Amino acid sequence: MFFYYCDLAWRSIRKTPMLSMLMVLAISIGIGITITTLNVYKTMSYNPAGERSEMINSVQLWSQGLDTWDEFSSNITYMDAMILRNNVELELKAATFRTGLALQSDNPKIEPVLNSVRVTDRDFFKIFSVPFLYGSYWDASVDLRPAYQVVISQKLNLRFFEGKNSVGKTVFLNRKPYQIVGVIEDWNPQPKYYDPLNGAFNEAEEIFIPFSLTPQEEFEVWGNTNGWRTEPMLTYNDRLVSEKIWIQFWTELNTVEQKQSYQEWLTRYVEQQRAIGRFTDTAKTIPELVQISDVAKWLEDNNVVHKDTKILVGLSLMFLSVCLVNILGLLLTKFLKRAPEVGVRRAIGASRRQIFSQYMVEVGMIGFIGGVIGLLWAWGSLTALHAYFEVDQSLTGLDASMWFITPLIAISTAVLAGVYPAWVVCRTKPSVYLKAQ
Amino acid sequence: MLHIKPILSSLMRSKSAPVLLLLQIILSVAIVANASFIINERLSLMQRDSGYAEDQILTFSVYNFDPAIDNAKQNQVDQQILRSLPNVIDASSSNMLPLSDSGWMDRYTDSPNEDIAKSTPGFAFYLGNEHLLNVMGAKLIAGRNFTADEINTNFSDSGMLAMVSQPLAKAFWGDESPLGKTVYQGDQAVTIIGVVEKLQGAWVDHENFEYSVIQNIDFGGYGSNKSYMVRALPEHTKGLEEAIRKAFHAENPNRVLDNFQTVAELRDRTYSNHRLMATVLSIMVVLLLLITALGLTGMVMFNIQRRTKQIGTRRALGARKRDIIQYFMVENYLICIVGGVIGGMLALVLGQQLMSLYSLPMVPVIYPIMSVIGLLVVTTFAVIVPAAKAANISPAMATRSV
Repeated sequence: MFFYYCDLAWRSIRKTPMLSMLMVLAISIGIGITITTLNVYKTMSYNPAGERSEMINSVQLWSQGLDTWDEFSSNITYMDAMILRNNVELELKAATFRTGLALQSDNPKIEPVLNSVRVTDRDFFKIFSVPFLYGSYWDASVDLRPAYQVVISQKLNLRFFEGKNSVGKTVFLNRKPYQIVGVIEDWNPQPKYYDPLNGAFNEAEEIFIPFSLTPQEEFEVWGNTNGWRTEPMLTYNDRLVSEKIWIQFWTELNTVEQKQSYQEWLTRYVEQQRAIGRFTDTAKTIPELVQISDVAKWLEDNNVVHKDTKILVGLSLMFLSVCLVNILGLLLTKFLKRAPEVGVRRAIGASRRQIFSQYMVEVGMIGFIGGVIGLLWAWGSLTALHAYFEVDQSLTGLDASMWFITPLIAISTAVLAGVYPAWVVCRTKPSVYLKAQ
Repeated sequence: MLHIKPILSSLMRSKSAPVLLLLQIILSVAIVANASFIINERLSLMQRDSGYAEDQILTFSVYNFDPAIDNAKQNQVDQQILRSLPNVIDASSSNMLPLSDSGWMDRYTDSPNEDIAKSTPGFAFYLGNEHLLNVMGAKLIAGRNFTADEINTNFSDSGMLAMVSQPLAKAFWGDESPLGKTVYQGDQAVTIIGVVEKLQGAWVDHENFEYSVIQNIDFGGYGSNKSYMVRALPEHTKGLEEAIRKAFHAENPNRVLDNFQTVAELRDRTYSNHRLMATVLSIMVVLLLLITALGLTGMVMFNIQRRTKQIGTRRALGARKRDIIQYFMVENYLICIVGGVIGGMLALVLGQQLMSLYSLPMVPVIYPIMSVIGLLVVTTFAVIVPAAKAANISPAMATRSV
C-alpha cells in the first residue's frame, strides 16, 4: 500500500509542478538555513571530553583584591599553581599555558619555524587521554627537577624524522636541545577544550614541554595575563611572584567524594591566603571561594558557543516555522482543489484513513525532496562560509549526524504542515461532490 | 469605495487561508524587524572610523630565538633598518597592534595613594617611541608628540609621558584639558602631553574601544617576540614584506618573521564575525520575503480559481477590472496590516527576549514599522499579478459553467 501511495503522491506532485516546486523550494530553503546554523551550533557546543566530562576538572580560585572582577577567572597565578601542583592528595594534576618557540632539528634543510608550544605537566597527557604513537610522557621526576624533554606530534615527527620512531632523538627549541620522549598520534580536540581562551577552534599545539622548565627558561606567555594590582613586571621573576593570572590548572576527580574533599582543601587554602592578606576581596565567602568546573561547565563559562550563533539558530528556527506556515497554506490550497476527486473516491469505498494516509505520504515525499535539496543548500552555504568568511574548517564541515537530522526535520516539518490540510480533505462529504457532478 | 465590509465577511466565511496568511505575516514581521535591526547595528559598528591610516600600515612580528641577541640593541638596529628601506615613510616598534583582537589594557589613577585614588576607565595601552604617532597616521589635536630624547626603555624609568585619545580625555576629565595633568601607575607618575583625536584599541566589541593611550616606552627592547608597524603608501606595502625579510635576515638569520598584514587586513579579520552576521541575516531577510511573496501568489491564484464564478458574476453586473484588482488588494492589505500590527508587537517581545538573553540593545519601534511597510510593498507585487489575471476573467466564463 505504501508504495502505491508513493506512486500516487509522485503523480500528484507532477500534476501541479509549479505549486509543488514552490513547496519544495520553501521547505528546502527553511531546512537549508536551519541546518547551516544548527551545524555550526552543534560543532561549537560539542563536548570533546564525552563521558569523561565530569572527571576532568579545571580549578578557579577567588584570588583577588577589592572590587576587581565579578566572576571567577579562568586562570590562576604561578604561586597558586605551584602550591596546587605540590598537593600530594591529588592523583592527577597539571598546570599549563601556551608559549611559542622556534623549532629546529639536526636536519639543516628545514628552516626554523615559530611554533606554538604547550608548557605543562606529565599528567596532562593522562587527564586528556592523549594517544601516543611512540614512547610516552616524561618521567614524574621531570615535573620536580626540570629536564629538557619534549613530546611532539605525529606531523612534526613526519616532517623531521620521516615518520620513524624518533624517541631519544633531539630537536632544538630556541636553539636548546630537547630530547624526544614521546610522539603523539594526531590529537586535535575541537573545541580546544583544554585551552579555549586563545580561540576555541584553533589547532592543538604540536610540541609539549615540562612546566618545571618555566622559571629557568622564562617562556613567554601566549595568552592572556590579567592582574588586579599594579606590580612591576620588569623581570620574569616579577611575573612568577606577582598576582598576575595566566596559568590554567587541570585535575582529574573521579568521584563526588573526591571532588568534595578537594573543594574543602582548596577552600582552606584560599582562607589561609586571605588570612595572610593576599586575597583581600570579600565579595564571596565560604563555601564559594573556589570553583571546580568540569568540561561542560568550563566550555559554557568560556563562551565557546558564540552568542551570535545562538541568535542565528533561534531566528532560523523561526524562519523554518514561516516556511511551515507557508507550506501549510499551499497544501490546503492544493488539497481542497482536489476535494471533488476525493469525494468520488470516498463514494466508491475509500476509507478516511486511506485518504488521510495517502495525502500524508505525499506530504512526506515533498518534505523528503525538500530535505535533500536543503542539505545541498546547507552544504553549499557552509562551504561558502569557510571560503568567504574564514570561519574555521572544523565549524563548517557538515556533521555526520546532519545526514540523519536533516531528513528527520524536513519530513516532520512537512508532515506537521500537512496534517491539517489532509484532515480537512479526508472529511470531504462524498454526497456534495456527487451531486455537483 | 473600498468595500471593506463584503471583503471582511467573505474572509470570515473561509477562515483557514487568511489565518495562515496572517500567521505568516506576523512571523515574518517579527523576524525581519529583529534581523534588520541587528544588521544595521553591525553595519554601523563596522563603519566606525578607526583613526589609523589603515591601508598604509604594514604590521609584522619578529621572533629572535638566538639567546645571544641583545633584544634592546637589536630593536634599535631593526628600526633603523626599517626606516632606511625604500618607500618606507616611518616605522616603529609596538607592544600591540590596533584592531588585532589582542593587546594590552591598563588604567591610570589620579593619585599614588591607592586608598583615595580614582582610576580612569580601562584603555588600550600602546607603548612606543616618537615615531609611533606618525606611523599610525593618527591626528594630534592638542599638545605635542614625544621627542627622541624622551623615550624610555623600561617601566621603572622616570619621566613617563603619555598621549591620550580624545574620548578617554572626555570620559575622565570632561571639558577640562588633560594637558599637563599627572596620572599614576602605582607610584609611577605619568604626565599627559598630548591628545589624539581618534585612536581605537584592539577589541572591536569592547565598550572602551575608543579609549587609548600611547606611553613613551620603546617596547621592542622587551622579550624576544615583538611587533613592528611600518608605514608606506598602499602600492608599496606588498613589496615591502620581501624587502623586510631580506634586510632582517641579512642582519641576523636567527629569527622568525611572521604575520605580515596591514591594519586594514587586521580590521577585516576582527570584524569578520559582524560581517558574517550581517550577511547571513540579510540573506535570511531576502529569502523570507521571497518565500512569503511566492506563497502569497500561490494562494491568491488558488483563491481566484475558486472564485472564478463570483468574479465573472460581478463583472457581468458591471464591476470594472479595476474593481476586481482593488478587491484583492484591499483584502491583502487588510490581512497585512492586522498581521503587521500583531507581528510588530511580537517583534518587540522577541527583541526584548534577545536583549535580556544576549544583552543586545532594544529594537527601536521604527524597525517593525519599516518591516510592515516593506512587507506591504512585497505583497503588493505578489498579489497584483494574479489579481490582474483575475480581472481578465470574462463575464461569459462565469456564466457558461453554471
